[in-house]
Amino acid sequence: MPLDTSSAYPLALLRVDGRRWNDLRRLHAAVRTQAAADGSAYLEMGNTKVMCTVTGPSEENKRRTAASTATGNTGGAGGGAGAGGAEVAVEIVVGGFSSVDRKRRGRGDKRIHELQTTLSKALAAALHTHLYPRSTIALSLHVLSQDGSLLAALLNASTLALVDAGIPMSDLPVACTAGLTSAASAADDPLVDLNAQEEQELPFLTLATLGDTDRVMVLVLETRVQAARLKDMVDLAADACKSVHKSLREVVRRRGEHMVEEGAVEKGASMAMDMDIDV
Amino acid sequence: MTSLRRPRDAEPNITNKVYIRSTKSGKVQKIVREVYLRDDIPCSSKLCTICPLKAPRSASGAMMPFVLSEKPAGTKEYPQGHYLVPDTNALLNAMDLFEESSAFYDVVILQTVLEELRNRSLPLYNRLIGLVKSEDKRFYVFFNEFRWETHVARDPDETINDRNDRAVRRAVSWYNKHLADNKGNITVLMLSDDKGNLEKAKSENVPATTLRDYVSGLPEADRLLDMIAESQERGISRDKKFAEFLYPEYYSMSKMMTGVKNGTLHQGIFNVSPYNYLEGSIKVPAFPKALLILGRDNINRAIDGDVVVVEVLPQDQWKEPSTKIIEEEAITKNENADGEEGGDIVTESERRALQEKVKKAQGLSTEGRPQPTARVVGAIKRNWRQYVGHVDQSSVSNAAKHGRKQESVFLIPMDKKVPKIRMRTRQAGELLGKRILVTIDSWDRESRHPVGHFVRSLGELETKAAETEALLLEYDVQYRPFPKTVLDCLPRDGHDWRVPASTDDPGWKDREDLRGLLICSIDPPGCQDIDDALHARPLPNGNFEVGVHIADVSHFVKPNNAMDTEASIRGTTVYLVDKRIDMLPMLLGTDLCSLKPYVERYAFSVLWELNEAADIVSVRFTKSVIKSREAFSYEQAQLRIDDNSQQDDLTNSMRTLLMLSKKLKQKRMDAGALSLSSPEVKVQMESETSDPIDVKTKELLDTNSLVEEFMLLANISVAGKIYDAFPQTAILRRHAAPPKTNFDELANQLKVKKGFELRFDSSKALAESLDACTDPQEPFLNTLVRIMATRCMMSAEYFCAGTQAYPEFRHYGLASEIYTHFTSPIRRYADLVAHRQLAAAIDYEPMHPAVRSRSRLEAVCKNINVRHRNAQLAGRASIAYYVGQSLRGRDAVEEDGFVLRVFSNGFVVLVPRFGVEGLIRLRDLADPEPESVFDPETYTLRTSGSREVLVELFMKVRVRVRDVKDEGTGKRGAGMELVG
Repeated sequence: MPLDTSSAYPLALLRVDGRRWNDLRRLHAAVRTQAAADGSAYLEMGNTKVMCTVTGPSEENKRRTAASTATGNTGGAGGGAGAGGAEVAVEIVVGGFSSVDRKRRGRGDKRIHELQTTLSKALAAALHTHLYPRSTIALSLHVLSQDGSLLAALLNASTLALVDAGIPMSDLPVACTAGLTSAASAADDPLVDLNAQEEQELPFLTLATLGDTDRVMVLVLETRVQAARLKDMVDLAADACKSVHKSLREVVRRRGEHMVEEGAVEKGASMAMDMDIDV
Repeated sequence: MTSLRRPRDAEPNITNKVYIRSTKSGKVQKIVREVYLRDDIPCSSKLCTICPLKAPRSASGAMMPFVLSEKPAGTKEYPQGHYLVPDTNALLNAMDLFEESSAFYDVVILQTVLEELRNRSLPLYNRLIGLVKSEDKRFYVFFNEFRWETHVARDPDETINDRNDRAVRRAVSWYNKHLADNKGNITVLMLSDDKGNLEKAKSENVPATTLRDYVSGLPEADRLLDMIAESQERGISRDKKFAEFLYPEYYSMSKMMTGVKNGTLHQGIFNVSPYNYLEGSIKVPAFPKALLILGRDNINRAIDGDVVVVEVLPQDQWKEPSTKIIEEEAITKNENADGEEGGDIVTESERRALQEKVKKAQGLSTEGRPQPTARVVGAIKRNWRQYVGHVDQSSVSNAAKHGRKQESVFLIPMDKKVPKIRMRTRQAGELLGKRILVTIDSWDRESRHPVGHFVRSLGELETKAAETEALLLEYDVQYRPFPKTVLDCLPRDGHDWRVPASTDDPGWKDREDLRGLLICSIDPPGCQDIDDALHARPLPNGNFEVGVHIADVSHFVKPNNAMDTEASIRGTTVYLVDKRIDMLPMLLGTDLCSLKPYVERYAFSVLWELNEAADIVSVRFTKSVIKSREAFSYEQAQLRIDDNSQQDDLTNSMRTLLMLSKKLKQKRMDAGALSLSSPEVKVQMESETSDPIDVKTKELLDTNSLVEEFMLLANISVAGKIYDAFPQTAILRRHAAPPKTNFDELANQLKVKKGFELRFDSSKALAESLDACTDPQEPFLNTLVRIMATRCMMSAEYFCAGTQAYPEFRHYGLASEIYTHFTSPIRRYADLVAHRQLAAAIDYEPMHPAVRSRSRLEAVCKNINVRHRNAQLAGRASIAYYVGQSLRGRDAVEEDGFVLRVFSNGFVVLVPRFGVEGLIRLRDLADPEPESVFDPETYTLRTSGSREVLVELFMKVRVRVRDVKDEGTGKRGAGMELVG
């Protein structure tokens, strides 16, 4: 049995997987992984691996009513509809093979439902949904492997897929987690980007910001933590979001360069996604 | 604050660790973990100039200090000094050695080793962590698995042990190279006992040696060599000889687990009978009565306290519990420790002793009905600790008394329930007549006795220092002085600390000023740690205001600091006859917290309004400041109350308290509270030399029960309040109703011998039937019965409210629905927790997470339950020791005694005058041993032949008490001889 965070960290300021308190895990992402979809992305944060495809925005009225009635049955969540804007429908499928124990998660799973709602609300706020009245933007997310920071990975993958689909947004929504080593020891550092083992041991929160601004879009904290230490965690998570933002932009930029090379777009053509990439 | 993004070119530095584990329920899981390899893990040598540049910093920017000294100790072979790198086996075998203060400094513990050790033995792991944390030993944990130069991936077909050994060698060679780069000439030396590993190290040019060779080069080698575990030598020579197996093999863990799950096997804690070392019992949930485990074969290497798995034997092997006293040293006296371990494990004499029982099984009676027996098939968890004992003189050869030859000797533990331990030593001559501390290393199938090794010597037998330390070790009492980190938590002002004069001071926040009340304390004479004080005053409406004021320890001991942690480990203050081992540092316990008279102190007060009938009208709780007017002893208080000429307010308030306490007591008795008894005596010491001079039985005055009643009332009120506020986490104390079967034997004995009927369907019925057990001829009989009834009870325990259903909260002995400990925070940790919870319940301060986490509180409860029990046992053992000492050198005294228990070859006598129990064996009665007839149904033993006596249960006998030294345990105690 390897050591746990609370016993190992005070010894050498190392986390269970050899990271320091402010190290993110390896972040690997690819855009347009499924050519058939309107937009798609694949993202890994350490061993957490998720896939996202976007369909839409589509304007079929029939389908929309079907989708919203199906919302109740299938557990998909919609947000941002009404007021003439597009609805963001999110559906998450967690592979039975994604965690250590093979577990079949039903569609009615409360936790999945909650993730869906959180995502769809957050995305609806970042996307310019008012440009697509009476339509639906459907996101389908597949979790292939779970190793902590699931919500953050899902949101980051959605962002990339939405960019790929060419849906206008005010900035890239990005997310990351932050935790706190046990308050009992002297070295109670905040930690960034927790893996599954750390999530089980420590209090943690998931924070999403809009681009590299400090505008918080999502803040989920389900564990108990001392109020005094919350600020440190939020600060660190916000900071980590900036790093994640940088990574995602780089992924997008490389995708853009690739498309230019392929000749899919003319250099300098004012494609929405190429507009302000200057890194 | 910046978070680091992993650069893309760092990707080769990620690897996955994949391993397979099986869970408790038998599931097999494949775990994949990322491992990030890095180059900034420091070597932590003060010599190093490279590592400090890259050393990690915590979020607050602090750097871990470098640990390993630039001038480490050296040996002949490595005169320039060395750092040590032990492998897992070295730590498993000789942890005591590493804790030694004369050697073993500058040690590098590899992560590989630490993880392996944790898997193998959690207690050893914890001791090692303790070493790492202690700054003076200079132990450093090097996370070799995370440094890319030292990371080792497991090859296909490589066993995990080989991989770990390779990782250790790789780390050692890296360290050597790294230090050489630093122009240092310090050698990093691997300590291992694995032959294969050593050979490979040699071929790879990695400096390595066996533990034994290394220790031989140290000064004091003889003493240190003894501390290496026995099994380690065996590890090398294991394949050499084919040992014969004496004991049945243990089942595999999975077989035991499946068996326990489907009910064919049973798991429980193994207990040994104090009168018969070959008889054990185990309580398992499936049977109402404990299962018997008879004989060496069936006990199968279990030692008292182990968690074992047993299998019930077929019915034809069921037996009744032994009625015979069997003492190990009497039977195995002549065994040779060095001798070949051949033959049968059950020796002829042991077999003869057991034969008796088989015969007995035929004669049936209600009591003597054969009970289910069982045999041990495996040990889940060994509860071996360090044992105190002395070397059996007869096992030491003459040559060894002078020479330095290594030989095996037997160690006879003080605790009679522990079998004798074989150990190898070179200093047998020196150890004779000393109290020594040993550890059991193993008990293999081919060894009749467990094998252990020497830890340290406590001093000459029967010297006060050695015996006291032995006692403290035996009951696992933490008696070392408080470390500096704890003392740092004390208030700066020390003894000059005062309650702030200005009521605007933050210390006064939300405190009531009760300095005007006439408060006094009543305690045993000479009490320094005064926990509680009381007051009472009439109210205009004819009711009374009564206040119990408890020292506000939680003001000084904040949750989770070093002092709090230490106190939670100690759990309780231990009172010995001549010594007190404090839970909190003296400054707090006897001064700042103690509610001393004439000075202002912080207190936590419970204030009731009671009416004339002592019913509670209202209750409130508050932090306060009080000023005690007087500290009385029980006697002084009693005298003052009885003296009618004293009519001052303070005395009158004490009279009010006394009046109310009597009513409270009556109410409690009506509800069915038990008044139980244990033989309590007090040792009087000569004030100068503190030698014991006399033994007195304790007297109980009205004022004792005055204090007791109000403390009970306070505890009950507080229990209700904290349970209301924190239904999940409140710390409470319960006393479970004893299972009916516990009283079967006593009820039968009383019925047969005295014609009394003992009813035990409720505590009230029990209290009443106990009251009825009186014999006008013999006033002590009632006390005797109460003493025996007390032994049938369950022990009370602390628990967390969320772990039990409300009806289970009941305190059987006090007949209270809910109870906690609140009134002695200076000497009990549970009270301190209750204080914090109560403070949170009345919104005085927010609840600290440590007091709120249920799992943490459960761990605290578990610990203090054990500590509380050990403290009681240590206190009793200390009294027993001093009673023995007070008899020493005096003429034998004749006293009255009562027969507590009858065996077929002896009986146990209780002498109330000294509160001691003694065993009188038939062979003590006369020489040659008289013939005897034992009737288990009427509990009588009739002897004939060389001496004719009739001994019955509960009989009053005249015994001569003198001091004897028990050759077996080396303890001095009261020896008894039957007169007439």
